[in-house]
Amino acid sequence: MDQSIVQKIINEIEHYTPKAGVEHVGRVTSVGDGVVAIDGLSRAVMGEIIQFEETAGRPLSKGMEAAGALHGLVLNLEEDGVRATILGDSARVNEGMTVKSTGRILSVPSGDELLGRVVSALGEPLDGKGPFTKATMMPVERESYGVIDRKSVSVPLQTGIKAIDSMIPIGRGQRELIIGDRSTGKTTIAIDTIINQKNEPAEKRPICIYVAIGQKESKTARIAQQLTEAGAMPYTIIVDAPASTPAALQFLAPYAGVAMGEYFMDRGQDVLVIYDDLSKQATAYRQLSLLLRRPPGREAYPGDIFYLHSRLLERSACLSEEKGGGSLTALPIIETQDGDVATYIPTNVISITDGQIFLDSSLFNKGVRPAIDVGISVSRVGSAAQTKAMKSVAGTLRLVLAQFRELEAFMQFAQDLDKMTADRIESGRRMVEILKQRNGSPISVEKQVAVLYAADKKFFADVAITRVSEVEALLLEFVDGQYAKELAEIRKSGVMSEALKKKLDRALEEFRLAHGELFGSQPVASSK
Amino acid sequence: MDKAYAQALWRIIEDGANPRGAVKTLCQALGARGRLGLLPKIARAFSLLAARAEAKNVVVLKVARYADGKRALKEARELLKDSTIKTDDVKINIDENLIGGWRLEGRELLHDASYKRQLLDIYERVLEK
Repeated sequence: MDQSIVQKIINEIEHYTPKAGVEHVGRVTSVGDGVVAIDGLSRAVMGEIIQFEETAGRPLSKGMEAAGALHGLVLNLEEDGVRATILGDSARVNEGMTVKSTGRILSVPSGDELLGRVVSALGEPLDGKGPFTKATMMPVERESYGVIDRKSVSVPLQTGIKAIDSMIPIGRGQRELIIGDRSTGKTTIAIDTIINQKNEPAEKRPICIYVAIGQKESKTARIAQQLTEAGAMPYTIIVDAPASTPAALQFLAPYAGVAMGEYFMDRGQDVLVIYDDLSKQATAYRQLSLLLRRPPGREAYPGDIFYLHSRLLERSACLSEEKGGGSLTALPIIETQDGDVATYIPTNVISITDGQIFLDSSLFNKGVRPAIDVGISVSRVGSAAQTKAMKSVAGTLRLVLAQFRELEAFMQFAQDLDKMTADRIESGRRMVEILKQRNGSPISVEKQVAVLYAADKKFFADVAITRVSEVEALLLEFVDGQYAKELAEIRKSGVMSEALKKKLDRALEEFRLAHGELFGSQPVASSK
Repeated sequence: MDKAYAQALWRIIEDGANPRGAVKTLCQALGARGRLGLLPKIARAFSLLAARAEAKNVVVLKVARYADGKRALKEARELLKDSTIKTDDVKINIDENLIGGWRLEGRELLHDASYKRQLLDIYERVLEK
């Protein structure tokens, strides 16, 4: 045997002092579907961690073979005992087993060590890169910050998606719901937002936490791969509670994610947490509640389903300078059925959050991606965080699109259109094209401002609709190469000064001269 | 249904009712409702409740060898002096898996002073490091 191992064992024996005192215990009376009924444990508290004693009555060798301690979480306090959920393999628990009270509330590791890692809902590493040695334990359930500790949202969180940053801006510390049917691009928006944080300077870059709840493991693996390839993993943590894990872990995963985020927020850093998705968490909680024999309410959800989400999302905050000035932004995702946002869970989460981005499957099928329905998407606090430069170029965007959508419906049966209406339709069509964006390619805010400024100046008015995205890409390349200083100034100052506007006008003119073949014969309409 | 009847019967007896009289009344009530067939099931549920209640009150001192019993009881007495458990209530059992030392368990309390526990503690610490 290796001498160092022998020495370690000798050291441990020499320094070993047996645990003193009495432990409070209970006994398993029934077990099934991941839930145990326990007699005793009269001193247990809600949310306490309990430990199943698998070694009792078994020889030492069998005890050594046990794969780590098996824990449970107390969820019901009853007259003669407690009901708890098993945080692991329920096949290891049997009737009559002794259960110890630990006096600990569930907590998960957090810290810089977790960055770039994929962890379980209990904070255990899942990526095979070894255990955490310097992590700080954070309580999974914690009271959110009060009014005095908070300040208004004032700093933007750039998603890199033109349609969002211009019309539905998100501020750091805000809670913005992403809602839509399946396969409409909800996760894509979230992932692009994480990738876009690479454009932020390192000292202002938010720590990103992606919480996958009830997802397929292959999807989470793909996301991890995508983030790695985009160079976003060094500032990202992935918390994974796949569909194959017990309902208890799927219910806990968002709380674990926010607890990890709070570690950074408490240290004055900005954090972005994505919960993908809370509908699956609600389903897992419903399953758990029914097994715990809690009375079912509407759609069989338990009575505290609103509190499940409100206490999670209330932990998002923009802290005051006295509290370090950190922030925690939440992007919860909700999946709807057949575009119906008026069902139980979506309406609950809509009422808790500070706005929603609604993704429409019909827009998605028409090729409008991201398929954001601007009409019913809103950001209630984000506009306060939008930069002046963006405000100046995106002010009328919503109106243009709203008018276009209205006229688009009318256009289907109208024969002759007057010039003004036809112009509006053409302008709307081009705007829709400009707002289209491929997934995995977020654009920095200064480039967004440049493109939207050009659109505002009717720069794309005589470009064939099919070539708008091509012209846009070329324009961005041109501006990035020839006018990098101006772009940097937009980013730094956040303002579109008259001097900057003149320089951008010149850039547009130069581009037009250099790429005359892309533009039609129509003259450029004068600016407003 | 049988569990509810058994629980009700248990409560009545616990509150001081005469067991014979309580069972008689129960039989009459069941007969009046035409549910006398439930009686065997109620008896089974009642015996489970009784076993559960007894298990709650039992205090077991486990030792690896019979010879360790006396010394273990002496040490356990020191531990129990502040509790409501009397040493007369303690049953001694042999569990060879303990290797040595003793383990006292009952009335929601556990004190594990067995060698097996200590060896497992050392093993877990070495693994952690």
